[in-house]
Amino acid sequence: MSRLTIWVILGVTLTFLIGPFLIVIFAGMSAGEALAFPPQGLSLKWYAKVFTVESFRASFALSLFLAIFGTLAALAIGIPAAYALNRYDLPGAEMIRTIVAAPIIVPGIIVGLALLRYFVVPLDVTITMALFVTHAALVLPYAVRVVSSSLNNLRSDMEEAAVILGCTRFQAFTKVVLPNIRGGILAAFILGFVTSFNEVPASLFLSGPGVRTLPIDMLSYMEITFDPSVAALSALLAFMSVAIVFIAERLLGFSRYV
Amino acid sequence: MFLNRSEGLALALPAALFTFLVFLVPVGILLSVAFQAEPGVWSLRGYVDFFSQPLNRTVFLRTLKLGILVAGTSAVIGYLAAFCIVNLPATSRGSIFGLVVLPLMISPVARTYAWIVILGRTGIVNDTIVGLGLSNTPIRLLFTETAVFVGLLQLFLPLMIISLVSAMENIPKDVVPAARVLGASWFQVFFRVILPLTKEGLVIGGTLVFTGALTAYITPAILGGSKVLMLETLLYQKVNVSNDFVSASVIAMILIVMCFSANLVLKRIASVRS
Repeated sequence: MSRLTIWVILGVTLTFLIGPFLIVIFAGMSAGEALAFPPQGLSLKWYAKVFTVESFRASFALSLFLAIFGTLAALAIGIPAAYALNRYDLPGAEMIRTIVAAPIIVPGIIVGLALLRYFVVPLDVTITMALFVTHAALVLPYAVRVVSSSLNNLRSDMEEAAVILGCTRFQAFTKVVLPNIRGGILAAFILGFVTSFNEVPASLFLSGPGVRTLPIDMLSYMEITFDPSVAALSALLAFMSVAIVFIAERLLGFSRYV
Repeated sequence: MFLNRSEGLALALPAALFTFLVFLVPVGILLSVAFQAEPGVWSLRGYVDFFSQPLNRTVFLRTLKLGILVAGTSAVIGYLAAFCIVNLPATSRGSIFGLVVLPLMISPVARTYAWIVILGRTGIVNDTIVGLGLSNTPIRLLFTETAVFVGLLQLFLPLMIISLVSAMENIPKDVVPAARVLGASWFQVFFRVILPLTKEGLVIGGTLVFTGALTAYITPAILGGSKVLMLETLLYQKVNVSNDFVSASVIAMILIVMCFSANLVLKRIASVRS
């Protein structure tokens, strides 16, 4: 294949993948009232308006809360599990792996409906709590997988040496293992954060009146209103995700872990 | 490897128990409802009722069709793009690959929303059509199967390209030139050299794209609406519009079975060909 053919094919593919997104960024810059491309005059008013919409602010706060604390909760139980699966000869290790990985395989909308009907309603759990538990469960498989792969690269004789030199097992973990898998944990946190923040199907049934995650709030906003503010908000969120991943890549070579 | 098993179990148990209780148990109960059209009585009535309605059959077949079409198309584009990427000079390869991965970090809502701007009544495509005088009034492009297909393809194509690139990176550099020198056409090179050597990547990519397309909610919801229902949006309607939980559970069961069989079938294909 010639150079030219290669670049034509890649150009077309990348235009298809990224082009629509550039259009959203510009559609959000419209000075007019209706969503259109090319925009009717340029202004940043829709980008500014996004910050004044009360429901967006509330749902952004909720999504941020879920993404941070849901991921932290998943790490809190995921790190010990990953450690146990890597370093111990566990009976039923394969089954534990399958159970923990299950939330990735089952389609999100089914998860949401199942939890609503057979967890939230019977136990009378609040909406926020239900969303928190769901997001933690959805992020857990990623947390276990990423931390596991980072533990795989750490030789276990370092901990054994620490124990022989007088550390307790717990000290060996906090002083030797944790500092060495810091990058993996951070990568797991970022992956979990982005996954949780962008999650829609599982949160769909669980979101109630007034308590919605941001992507779901955007979905219902665009059903009623057809102005460029969702375009502006989409662009802002994309910048946020891309910036987080970009910084992570620069700081710790994020892609090594994922 | 530590031998203290109870200590290990104590470490692994919170995660396993958590997932089991708040995830597997509710999902299990939900799926069991699909077999109880009348509470307490086990039967396949739910399935019979579900498939006896023409709308449900249409939606089922459409979901299957779109899943296969999206997976097939992304395989074709994926092979072309992946072949180009691995043949790039090392300096530009990383950044081009980064651009392919980039969309995966962006919210699917934002990525799907773009197609409203492009395909809407006053979108780019319609403006062009009306501007060129090809039609006097805007054509309905949104809420069609094509719109859903394009949206799904854009959403999941990166997964196929990533799988194929990592498969192709393992092909020795001189294999393709060798085949060409020995007189193979590009067609033969693909089917007799590249395809057999990358089929694992194709299987992984194919499974990811197919199951992704089957279980996507946002794209059919935004681009298909109630005119072009897929199983996921139909499930949502069954629950929120008609309060029909048996049908919802039947759909859930169908989706899970389809995802698992896709895994099995594709694995089977991969092993038969070798």
